[in-house]
This record gives sequence, C-alpha cells and structure tokens, in this order.
Amino acid sequence: MTLTHYLTLGAIVFLIGIFGALTRRNIIGILMSIELIFNAANINLAAFNRFLHPQGVAGQAVALFFITIAAAEVVVGLALVLAIYRNTDTVYVEDFSLLKG
Amino acid sequence: MTFEAIVFYSLSALVVISALGVVMHRNTVHSSLFLGLSLAGVAGIFASLSADFLFAGQILIYVSGIAVLIMFVVMLLGRASDLHLRQVNNQWLAAVLICCISMVGLWRVASSFSGSTVTTAAQPTTKLLGQLMMGDYAVPFELVSLVLTAALLGAIFFSHVEKPE
Repeated sequence: MTLTHYLTLGAIVFLIGIFGALTRRNIIGILMSIELIFNAANINLAAFNRFLHPQGVAGQAVALFFITIAAAEVVVGLALVLAIYRNTDTVYVEDFSLLKG
Repeated sequence: MTFEAIVFYSLSALVVISALGVVMHRNTVHSSLFLGLSLAGVAGIFASLSADFLFAGQILIYVSGIAVLIMFVVMLLGRASDLHLRQVNNQWLAAVLICCISMVGLWRVASSFSGSTVTTAAQPTTKLLGQLMMGDYAVPFELVSLVLTAALLGAIFFSHVEKPE
C-alpha cells in the first residue's frame, strides 16, 4: 500500500461529497454530504501523518480538531434547519427564499 | 495479495459504496443509515493507518453521535410524500462534469506520491496525542472547548420556541 492509494480514496470520497452538496435538494442531504467531505480530509491527514511523518502525531491532532469542529457545525446546522422548517414548512433548499422578502 | 491490501480494498469498497448510497438514495432515512456505515468504514481506515485514538474518536463522535443526531432530525422532518419527489436538482450533469475534471487533477497530485511506503512499524499514538494536546496545542485545545460551548448555546438559542403569553 502506498500513499497514493489512501489519497485516491480521500479524493473519491471528497468528490462524492461535493457531488451530493451540489445536487441534493434536501437540506439534510447537503449536511450529510458535507460530513463526507470532512471525512475525506481526515483520511488524507491521517495518511500523510502515517506515511510522511511517522515519528510525530501532528496530523492526527489536526484531524481530531476537525472532528470536533464538524460536530459543532452539524449541531448548529441541524438546529438552524429545525428553525427554518418551523417557519417555511419545507426542507427543500429552492424554497428557502426568506431573505428575498 | 497481502493481508494489508485485502483490508484496505474491502474498507475502501465499504466507504465508497455507502458514500454513493448517501448521495444517491431517494429516501433520506436510508441515506442517513448509509452515512453511519460510511463513517464506520472511515474509522476502519484510521485503524489501518495506526491512528488508534482517531479510530475510537470516529466511532464515538461520528458513528454514535453525528449519524444518530442526523437520523433523529430526518425522522422529525420527514414526510411520506417526500419519497415520490425527485431528490436531485436539474444541474446534476454539470456536477458530474465538475467532479470528473476535479478527479483528473486530484489523481495527478495523488500519483506523485506513488513511491512513498510505510517504513516504520505501527505504534499506539494515544499517549503522544495527549502530550501534544497538553503541550504545543494547549491554546487551540482550549479554543475548541470554547467553540463547543458556543455551539451548544447556539443550538439551544436557534431551536428555542417562544411560548405565547
């Protein structure tokens, strides 16, 4: 196994996440796709740590920070989705036109 | 084929197929179940990269925290009529094009690392991570706890319903 294998896996998961974030109509689907993107970044960080700098753990520490920030992001995001759903009664992003008046 | 290759390819297949399930599946409840499976596969990838603390953190935070939270919200907001609606917008062809072009670029970057292999034996990293968090990374560590408190307060603030008097 070389570093290329892990980077390719990270790239594939990242692009699947990008595809989902661009095409899903459901706001929760977009949030799930963003979680996939975070995980692709974490795979890359852990792989770089293991292959290029095996004596340190800085890559894994940054990945831990990413996991924490992702948890905070998804909690606030889901609370916002619930608040928007209460006002607009829909989960489809093309109907979220509150700011247009 | 070595044992390491078998583990890597089976975990990769699990991660990629369930990630495709997340973005393709029409039913959002099934999508969130696939998300949990995909995140568990990523935890396995962490274990194969000898990141044992990340493996445990991924299982604890992502699989049993975030995936379950998303599942709750999906079930709160879902409707039976959603299953008959189209779940992708009409720009999906452009999105496929963007992803293919980006894949070519990312593949060129990734293939430049084809010579790098593992040279040292795998070691547990939990102790080193703890020393790093309490040493060099102490300030970001405290800042992250502040961010988590802010997220907690924000979630309570946004989901709070004002009762009419």
